[in-house]
Amino acid sequence: MLNRARVVFVKSWVIFLAVGLIAACQPKVKTVKIAVGLPLTGDIASLGQGLRRAIEMAVAEHNAANPANPVELVSFDDRSDPKEAVSVANRIVADRSVVGVIGHFNSGCSIPASRVYAQNSLPMISPASSNPELTKQQLSPQWTYTKCVFRVNTTDNVQGSFGADFITQTLGMKKIAVIHDKTSYGQGVAEEFRNQVESRGSKIVAFEGLQVGDRDFRSLLTRVKALSPDALYFGGMFSEGGILVRQARDIGFKGAILLPEANYDEALLRVAGPAAEGAYVTFLGSPPELLDSAKDFVARYHERYPGVELKSYDHYGYETAQIFLDAIDAVGPDRQKVLTFIRNIKHDGVLGQTAFDEKGDTLNKTITLFQVKGGKFVPVPVTDKPKA
Amino acid sequence: MNLLANILEQLINGLTLGSIYALVALGYTMVYGILLMINFAHSEIFMLGAFAGCGVLALVPGLPWPIALALAFVLAMVACGFTAITIEKLAYKPLRKAPRLAPLISAIGVSIVLQNAMFLFHDDFLGFPSVLPLRRWEFGQFAVSSIQIIILVSSVSLMGALWLFVNHSRLGKAIRACSQDRDAAELMGIPVNRMISLTFFIGASLGAAAGILYSLYYGSIKYNMGFVPGMKAFTAAVLGGIGNIPGAMLGGLLLGVSESLGTAFLPQASWKDVFAFAILIIVLIVRPSGLLGERTAEKV
Repeated sequence: MLNRARVVFVKSWVIFLAVGLIAACQPKVKTVKIAVGLPLTGDIASLGQGLRRAIEMAVAEHNAANPANPVELVSFDDRSDPKEAVSVANRIVADRSVVGVIGHFNSGCSIPASRVYAQNSLPMISPASSNPELTKQQLSPQWTYTKCVFRVNTTDNVQGSFGADFITQTLGMKKIAVIHDKTSYGQGVAEEFRNQVESRGSKIVAFEGLQVGDRDFRSLLTRVKALSPDALYFGGMFSEGGILVRQARDIGFKGAILLPEANYDEALLRVAGPAAEGAYVTFLGSPPELLDSAKDFVARYHERYPGVELKSYDHYGYETAQIFLDAIDAVGPDRQKVLTFIRNIKHDGVLGQTAFDEKGDTLNKTITLFQVKGGKFVPVPVTDKPKA
Repeated sequence: MNLLANILEQLINGLTLGSIYALVALGYTMVYGILLMINFAHSEIFMLGAFAGCGVLALVPGLPWPIALALAFVLAMVACGFTAITIEKLAYKPLRKAPRLAPLISAIGVSIVLQNAMFLFHDDFLGFPSVLPLRRWEFGQFAVSSIQIIILVSSVSLMGALWLFVNHSRLGKAIRACSQDRDAAELMGIPVNRMISLTFFIGASLGAAAGILYSLYYGSIKYNMGFVPGMKAFTAAVLGGIGNIPGAMLGGLLLGVSESLGTAFLPQASWKDVFAFAILIIVLIVRPSGLLGERTAEKV
């Protein structure tokens, strides 16, 4: 009996090895990869993690529908750090099976990383970076690489001019203080806003920077309040925005507060609490709750990730992933072909129709205005002339 | 707003912030005093204190605020004190005879582990229960808020209690003896290991209290919230003379005030850190062992 058992054992090993050899000798299926470069740790990790969840969902749905042509997702963490983003970019371009990059989040990361991708003709679509420079740099004569940078969200000049119209015309405010976080994104959007406000004849009484990661802005706000502005604009993200709003009300600032889209986050409401009441936030495009095309996405997201809050950029991440997946399915896993396909794409997805202009910016230039009412972001139709 | 009111208001802002720095700085300075080691995990104890306080406050919603707050303070301080003792036993004690850089690296490792453990628990901002009745008292153009007064009063009383304990109790005397000469203290029959644990316990509970005060002030907590105040408090400890308890208090207050006055009166508000660190450099050039530090050749 013992002998027989050994024979069975040896036989099964032989079969096992043979199967392995046959599998190894078969023509290898080329893996197709999409790379993700997002802040998965660090101060705004929650946004990066949310985006990755949405992207994973898109890829999983694609692979379930196309078992013959699966796409693999590889994620990299840029920690919101421009240096780290460049090193991530270099690792991504080294992998020839990667045909597209989703990222990065912060404009400060996307801009330096985009040069690395461009040198290697690897198409990149950002799901969130809004500094105009990201795509505009491709028009400069120094840009000797392929034009391959795109984004599905609109830009800060659109947002800045919308905000300036609202503050100076709808609310009729004359003296405006601007605070920014000294990052490519925050300072960029603050400068766009400042220029637009000045061109409309209102006065910028202060233009001050703060440090990302700081938690005490009372001294800065006390200084700004002494200039008695009618309104305060903050160029930066919710991680500082929430605390800034709370402390502004703490020290007795009573004017209007306007924040750009990176502050459209539940965390802002949690941090600022009742102090957030009445504050305005502009959002690039429309949030998923207001988009008919995103209803189905929201439902599937909650089904796949029960109990997880949908973050404000997640639908952009999903859309970006779908654009790449469509391109791969249509033209195959080839960087150059994917790039050409994306340039001419007309994609009807969760964001409505996405198509890119000659720079790579989306033609969908919607901005939504929100006001915090009763601890919620409530959309404000701009024609209604709300009072501060 | 007239200048005097503005200066007064900025002074209050600075003192509030500075007293939190001072509480955290005490943890750095006491551990350094006894082990000659910089406990970089202290900023994570600060963070854990804030989370523990948040947890306690969330569990007892019905209680009147002074009792709820006192409960949060006591439980968080005790919990963090024991956490710090455990960290000391696991990560620092085995390295006590190792070169001085080894426990330092170990401390950085502990800090990374604690931060990431909390990241797995919650990766985003968590609102801190606002149990305090929010009040603002305005005197002409100068205003103080209830939170600022509570922070100032509680941190000053904690520091006073620490001062009494260290200078006027037998245990305090034993801690001082250990920090002067560990071997001699052992020969005199002082249980040195227990004194080291006690030092970690006290430093950590002050850090935890600072964490709660800080979260009350800013209304939110997050896994990486300890980093910036930890760095600032460490700077404050060096400014006051690391190893010296009144020095840490003085250094914290000075750093807070110079930061807020720097924000108020420099041509660019963002130069405040430059101003605060310029003061640090000048102090260290004039007095290399800090404002109140003793002139010993081996320290710093």
